[in-house]
Amino acid sequence: MKVKLHIWRQKNNKEKGKFETYELNNVLEDMSFLEMLDVLNEKLILEGKEPVAFDHDCREGICGACSLTINGIPHGPEKATTTCQLHMRKFKDGDEIWIEPFRAKAFPIIKDLVVDRSAFDRIIQAGGFISVNTGQAPEANSILVPKQNADNAMDAAQCIGCGACVAACPNGAAMLFVGAKVSHFAYLPQGQPERKLRVLKMVEQMQKEGFGNCSNLYECEAACPKEISVRFIALMNRDYLKASCSEEKLEVINNE
Amino acid sequence: MGLLNYLRSTILSKVVMAITGAILVIYVIVHTAGNLLIYLGQDTLNSYSQFLHSLGPILWIIRIILIVSAILHIVTSIKLKFENWGAKPTKYAVKNYLKAKFSSRTMIWTGIMVLAFVVYHLLHFTIRVTNPQHYYPEFYQPHNAVSYVLLERFDVYKMVVLGFKNPLISIIYIIGVVIVGFHLDHAIQSMFQTLGYNQKHYFPIIQKSSTALAIIIVICLVSIPISVLLGLVGGKI
Repeated sequence: MKVKLHIWRQKNNKEKGKFETYELNNVLEDMSFLEMLDVLNEKLILEGKEPVAFDHDCREGICGACSLTINGIPHGPEKATTTCQLHMRKFKDGDEIWIEPFRAKAFPIIKDLVVDRSAFDRIIQAGGFISVNTGQAPEANSILVPKQNADNAMDAAQCIGCGACVAACPNGAAMLFVGAKVSHFAYLPQGQPERKLRVLKMVEQMQKEGFGNCSNLYECEAACPKEISVRFIALMNRDYLKASCSEEKLEVINNE
Repeated sequence: MGLLNYLRSTILSKVVMAITGAILVIYVIVHTAGNLLIYLGQDTLNSYSQFLHSLGPILWIIRIILIVSAILHIVTSIKLKFENWGAKPTKYAVKNYLKAKFSSRTMIWTGIMVLAFVVYHLLHFTIRVTNPQHYYPEFYQPHNAVSYVLLERFDVYKMVVLGFKNPLISIIYIIGVVIVGFHLDHAIQSMFQTLGYNQKHYFPIIQKSSTALAIIIVICLVSIPISVLLGLVGGKI
């Protein structure tokens, strides 16, 4: 099949970018979207041109490294699918495809379609963990987790931190990502000791990184390749409110 | 500023939007119900207005709560919107929305239009400067009077009917109310999400109810100028 690609090219964060148009005539339906870009890059290299830079790693839909906003939708048109698991059979012969990087102030462009998502890492470092003593692992059944809570925690833990929520949000908000990470621990007994401090610190870091505010448009939920629900944002809002009135808030204020 | 410290927190700002919004929505519902009394005739509507004015300080407490809510709602929304524009400096060349409704994406614009409409509405019916020729006293016989007396009160019914008989004023109100409806369609369900009330088993009902309530309010309010224009209400005036 043939496709016409409009790809965002940008040398680095300083220079201005623009769209370049490429035509590919030898695309197979069974190629993944990234394999299609590999074919384009091989062609560009043979022509002595600079290949298109894009992020990828596992190509199994679980690592969260691939990105790309395809025809205005992060990870492309297929529901609950990462770019690497999107196949060219979802497009028609002769289609024009617009490929842009994930856009947000907190995700500066490194090159072409590659953006710096380390803001997410710093949010995790601020509180997206539980503190445990080293040593032997405890007996698994010594802490009971109700089935309902385990299911909810697993739903939240599905988040692969790809940043599609930020890319989809017209405000560049990271509430779905942070909501998922906060909720993941909030549903489990192991998450309780640091529950209030965690939500305060992670939200504070999220704001420092320059993400926007949530307008409850739910565009993030629709774009999420792991179908994380916005109910985790609601849970985070509630936890944040409770934590804002607690002793932990005083601790955060005193440490500032 | 101590009072405005909440603005530093994205979530607390949203909570202030939700709570002030809730106060304003409750007011809109009560106001709509009060307006529908026009269908029960001149005496009922004017008595209701007389009752509201007789509340005195309570009326002013309600007004101050509403004014403070409106100011906080506006100040917070402006701060949030500017931050949001700043957080997404480059727009996509191609953008396809999957779930965000038109009413959700235009809150700041419908909000500004609602403010303009409310200002006009206050100038027209509350402060009464735009159409001074429509304001008359009504002389009425109190229900509990033992002998024949005529008392004077403000004739709200006549003011509304004369106002809405002007098609231009009616059109302004109809458009204004429809814009309020768009704003409420997103606002009501958004309030629950922000305050943390979202679970699978009831949130779809809240979302549908939000739209339904907005539509009901619009129909109730729009029906009044239309009834006046058609001569169904206040035909004799």
